[in-house]
Amino acid sequence: MKIAVCATAPDIEALVDVRFGRCPYFIITEIEDGKIKKWESLPNPGINAFGGAGIQAAQAIARKGVNVVICGSLGPNAYGVLSSAGIQLIPGVSSITVRQAIEKYIKGELKPGFSIGPRGFGYGRGFGRRRRWRGGR
Amino acid sequence: MKFLASTGTKGGVGKSTFAILLTYKLISKGKKVVLCDCDVECPNDHLLLNRKLSNKTKVYQPIPKLDKRKCRKCGICAEKCRSNAIFWIPGGYPKFIHDLCNSCGVCWHICPFGAIKVSKKEIGEVYSVKIDKNFWFISGKSKPNVEETTPIVNEAKRKAIDVAKKINADYIIFDTAAGIHCNVVHILRESDMIFAVTEPTPLGLHDLKISLELAKKLGKKALVIINKSGIGSEKRIQRIAKKYKTYIAGKIPYSKDVLDAYVKRDLKNVHELLKLKVGL
Repeated sequence: MKIAVCATAPDIEALVDVRFGRCPYFIITEIEDGKIKKWESLPNPGINAFGGAGIQAAQAIARKGVNVVICGSLGPNAYGVLSSAGIQLIPGVSSITVRQAIEKYIKGELKPGFSIGPRGFGYGRGFGRRRRWRGGR
Repeated sequence: MKFLASTGTKGGVGKSTFAILLTYKLISKGKKVVLCDCDVECPNDHLLLNRKLSNKTKVYQPIPKLDKRKCRKCGICAEKCRSNAIFWIPGGYPKFIHDLCNSCGVCWHICPFGAIKVSKKEIGEVYSVKIDKNFWFISGKSKPNVEETTPIVNEAKRKAIDVAKKINADYIIFDTAAGIHCNVVHILRESDMIFAVTEPTPLGLHDLKISLELAKKLGKKALVIINKSGIGSEKRIQRIAKKYKTYIAGKIPYSKDVLDAYVKRDLKNVHELLKLKVGL
């Protein structure tokens, strides 16, 4: 089974990034018999996207054949496409390292959740581009 | 036919009030005017004019639609989409995320199998109201949760120009949204005269600079209008105006009469209170 975790650096000991579409790296680990067999880092292609970062990121990890995604929060667009691709989503993870998160998952301490963050949470679209000063949107 | 624009970066600074006062002022001089509310995300000129919006035309945005029989799952559309509005994983059909689509049309032009058809999504409405023979009012209105509202602004603008040509109007007055985003730029770049509305407060001052900077970028000069004139010092506004080689072209006093008329939605009677230093 393959698990992707949003990470702040290209290392399994790095902290879990709270963002999905704008996190710098994904750590993709392969789990076999409850153990981490191997891991690789994948730079997030969506990090500098103007908009739709979550879609780009989701596409990249879906192509890696990932079964589970562990992250802090993810927007509605990414949520929609990932679940339609049959990927299990576990948002709401933060302040721990990628390795700890995966170990927690293996022990069954992490459950799939439904906490969807606001869209355009990272930066780019939404912040600044067309946001009105009166906060109408 | 001259295009005038009432703009400003700060919300609630008096863009609509100024646009309406200016409209009534020009009408009182016997001019024919079309007022166009381009703040499509929350239009409210009709409230100040005390009119109901009527005579609507719908505005659509072209969006891609997949013909599954023709699709070969090649993924070229997803690769070329600059808005990242197409999700595709090898072996699957592309999935269009309409909320992110800006209707550029790359996908339906590039598809080698002609599998992407153009469909449309309703994003808003444009209303045209005849107030009297010298005064028409056009207003755009977007649907909630629409990302790309610029097509509605452009449609409202087109409608205003159409009506203006039909009634042979002297002026079209565009009342823009707050800010310096696309919706504002699309109006300002075609305007003959831009009025940057501000107020003598630190916020008004700060936001005025941004408006003037935008006008400068567009190669235009924006004239400064001070609303609520009298509540604070106007020296700094003067200084900024000078820096951008413009001047204070008009003032709306901070007076009970204006406020009264505003609340009672009867700005028609107070248009003399708007003092303009520019020939129109």
